[in-house]
Amino acid sequence: MEPAPHILVVDDDREIRDLLARFLEKQGFRVTTAREAREARRAWPLGRYHIVVLDLMMPGESGLDFARWLRSQSDVPIVMLTAMGEETDRIVGLELGADDYVAKPFNPRELLARIRAVMRRAHGEGPRRDPLPSAIRFGGWVLEPQRRRLLNPDGAEVSLTGGEYELLTVLVERPNRVLTRDMLMDLLRGRQAGPFDRAIDVAVSRLRRKLEDDGRNPSLIKTVRGGGYVLAADVERAA
Amino acid sequence: MKGLIRRILPRTLAARTALFLLLALMAVQAAGLTIHALDRVDLQRAAMEREMSARVFGLWRSMVVALPDRRPSVLAELELPTGLEAGLDDQPWVRSGMLPAPPEVLRMVRPEILLGGPPRWRAREVQAGMGFGTLYVAALLPDGSQWVNLKLHMPPLRPWHSETFLIAFLLMTAAAALLIVWATRRLTRPVRDLARAANALGRDVNAPPMPEDGPLEVSTAAHAFNTMAERIRRFVGDRTQMLAAIGHDLRTPITRLKLRAEFMEDEEQRAKMLSDLEEMEAMVNATLAFARDDAAAEPSVPLDLAALCRTVLDEAADARPYAPPEAFAYEGPERLTVRGRPIALKRALANLVANAANYGNAARVQLVPPQVGQAAQIQLRVEDEGPGIPEESQEAVFQPFRRLEASRNRETGGVGLGLPIARNILRAHGGDVVLRNRPEGGLLAVATLPA
Repeated sequence: MEPAPHILVVDDDREIRDLLARFLEKQGFRVTTAREAREARRAWPLGRYHIVVLDLMMPGESGLDFARWLRSQSDVPIVMLTAMGEETDRIVGLELGADDYVAKPFNPRELLARIRAVMRRAHGEGPRRDPLPSAIRFGGWVLEPQRRRLLNPDGAEVSLTGGEYELLTVLVERPNRVLTRDMLMDLLRGRQAGPFDRAIDVAVSRLRRKLEDDGRNPSLIKTVRGGGYVLAADVERAA
Repeated sequence: MKGLIRRILPRTLAARTALFLLLALMAVQAAGLTIHALDRVDLQRAAMEREMSARVFGLWRSMVVALPDRRPSVLAELELPTGLEAGLDDQPWVRSGMLPAPPEVLRMVRPEILLGGPPRWRAREVQAGMGFGTLYVAALLPDGSQWVNLKLHMPPLRPWHSETFLIAFLLMTAAAALLIVWATRRLTRPVRDLARAANALGRDVNAPPMPEDGPLEVSTAAHAFNTMAERIRRFVGDRTQMLAAIGHDLRTPITRLKLRAEFMEDEEQRAKMLSDLEEMEAMVNATLAFARDDAAAEPSVPLDLAALCRTVLDEAADARPYAPPEAFAYEGPERLTVRGRPIALKRALANLVANAANYGNAARVQLVPPQVGQAAQIQLRVEDEGPGIPEESQEAVFQPFRRLEASRNRETGGVGLGLPIARNILRAHGGDVVLRNRPEGGLLAVATLPA
């Protein structure tokens, strides 16, 4: 049996730290905690961590500085805990190579889902994990994963629901590859907190509408007979 | 009467002051020029008197010295000033029943001269009378043979007969008008500046202060205004900081409680506790969103407003799986690009939609692009099917933490910040939002944005 994944939790609030450790241990993880960046640096060489959960706002060295240091040491996946509204911090965090973020006060189960998704992505798709690209171009459209936004061919920001964004991300990461509904469900459940029970078809038709893709004769997201979808476009990534 | 005055009076202080000053100045000028004209009349009259009396005396002397049979031919040869007629007659032209001549008219001819002088020149009798604006004077020659009759048609005095008068009046008025308009505009500029500064402060508490220069009264007013703005700024700042601190500090205990809930055995109690915590979190987030001016920090970018409407509606529909899908409908263009702050605008619209869905069971969004020939304005209309809001409360609900007791109970939740936040955001974008009841029933929120 594979050893339990090891998580490093860095948070300055003792109660949150301990509760989080207990919660994650209950879910089958091995947890080491650190009070702030200095302690985390000391703890870093002592274990082989699979993932780091890092509070952005800490006394002393900030979470961003620690993340930068951590990136220079390793490409361990990082999930940031941010406060609501700290938009710029979040973007900087993602640019620095954090893999995901959860806004405080977070739902523990949502955090767990994100941790699992990030680990699956990090370890499932090969040892060397790409940092989030700054821009992904397809058919004139630009998806900016770090800023979590979509720009239309005129450069105007096009708002997406969480589900639409996740679906689009899954599609542009696998261009010109047929994805069945089951595969999409599977890929999406890993990212989306909470149930993603709404039919994939609804999400696809909403997304087509936003992408100005004619539903009856789509050119970007094509329907494949036998139940599946494919993003029919050349995708270009910018780091 | 009052209404008429109000309609005629110009609306600006500068124009009113200028108008009053100009009218007063014209009156003063007219009075001064009239005094001047009356002086001229006196001079004219004196000159005329001197001339007339000299001529009359000359005529009389010619008649007296001329031989009686030569008199008519002498009279005919005499050159008389205009208005004066003379004739020799056996009868005086003065008729009985004529009005006595007033002394100021009589002075023209000065008949007393005819009665003075040496006896051989002296008139035997002089008669005078007025008829139809004409002075009649009859003098009996010293030899008593004939009457020398004079008929003086009084030339009208023309006090205003002077081109220079009108030109002077117009020139002076025009020059004064220019000066007055310039001066009043200058004088009222501080008032306009003050109004502009007050408006700017209303939109943005951090608007730059007014310059405290100019005349003493103006600089004092500007200083008072700046002091007031500073106090408002401090007050708003303190309140914002307090709200932010409370909101921020509450996040840690809420996070702890959420974690603790995971260790509860009773699944039902756990779910209830989590839903309470979600509600608390929503309140904290709303308070923070209101307290912190997030909108100011977010950069303004081009964005597709139609897509934003769809996202907000889809998310609202997803959050309410039991609502009929037609309750969340979008009507409008497929695409409408505006400049704005995406997160802030989404929050504003989401608040309006949530309000409609929570209290009105539906949220239908209509996006109206700018109409040709009208102000460049985008309208976002959100209508619901609820009971509406009484007209007198339609403004009050935009005040923070204000909730209508009748229609809003614990069930529907909320802190009373949704509408104030929406309005703050829209106003920061140069737009606004107002509420009104639909005639068909339900509430209509009309948000406007500059195109």
